[in-house]
Amino acid sequence: MTGADQQAQLEGVLKDEILRMYQEVADNPDAEFHFFHGREAVEMFGYDPEWLERAPAGAVASFAGVGNPHERAELTPGETVLDLGSGAGLDAIIASWRVGPEGRVIGVDLNPSMCRKAQANLAATGGSMECHEGRMEEIPLPDASADVVISNGVVNLSFQKRRVAEEMFRVLKPGGRISITDIVSGRELSQSIVNDPKLWAA
Amino acid sequence: MFELLEDAGFTRVRTAVVPGFRFRKESTRNAAEAYGVKAVMITATKPAET
Repeated sequence: MTGADQQAQLEGVLKDEILRMYQEVADNPDAEFHFFHGREAVEMFGYDPEWLERAPAGAVASFAGVGNPHERAELTPGETVLDLGSGAGLDAIIASWRVGPEGRVIGVDLNPSMCRKAQANLAATGGSMECHEGRMEEIPLPDASADVVISNGVVNLSFQKRRVAEEMFRVLKPGGRISITDIVSGRELSQSIVNDPKLWAA
Repeated sequence: MFELLEDAGFTRVRTAVVPGFRFRKESTRNAAEAYGVKAVMITATKPAET
């Protein structure tokens, strides 16, 4: 097996593990994970309590981000926002409130059932969003589609972060911006971590 | 990440540590600390002229 074959195999296993783990957070929000999630996490990251009161309980309970991308996104009415790895939709919902009815929110998620969940959560608030099943390394949108890309704890899951950066750049309009929160490592991860999908997905 | 964004063409790349971020489980926290793992906020801009 070549190095490329091994990489592809590992990526396939990782994809399955990511789908499994985040589906579990969505399906069993009362369970305990190695990371904080749900209301405990959003309160830790300083989400506006007013947003949390307005948002559907299911969207809050299934939150699995690592920070608050809205803190620096400076979204304004009428903008088009792409939420990369939109999950159960809490960040997309908040984005929809900030860009208003003239704006547009687009989600992209690896898991089509999460897309449906995010859309249902947003519909419960009276809003709507597009959501596309897709990979962040190959964002299923045309060039120059969005004013802003937000993302929360997702890019670190990719083996091809350079490709993800290029894709975010491609789908942004000239003058567009990103506001993402993510996990970074100060040291190169050991091969045992890289080769373990459960640890990588964590 | 900073370099990858600049290489992609982004400018004004800014990062800041997410205050208060931590893992729930102690074993994960310890491993994260050993590797200097932290959560960061990143903003960057695509130039108006590309």
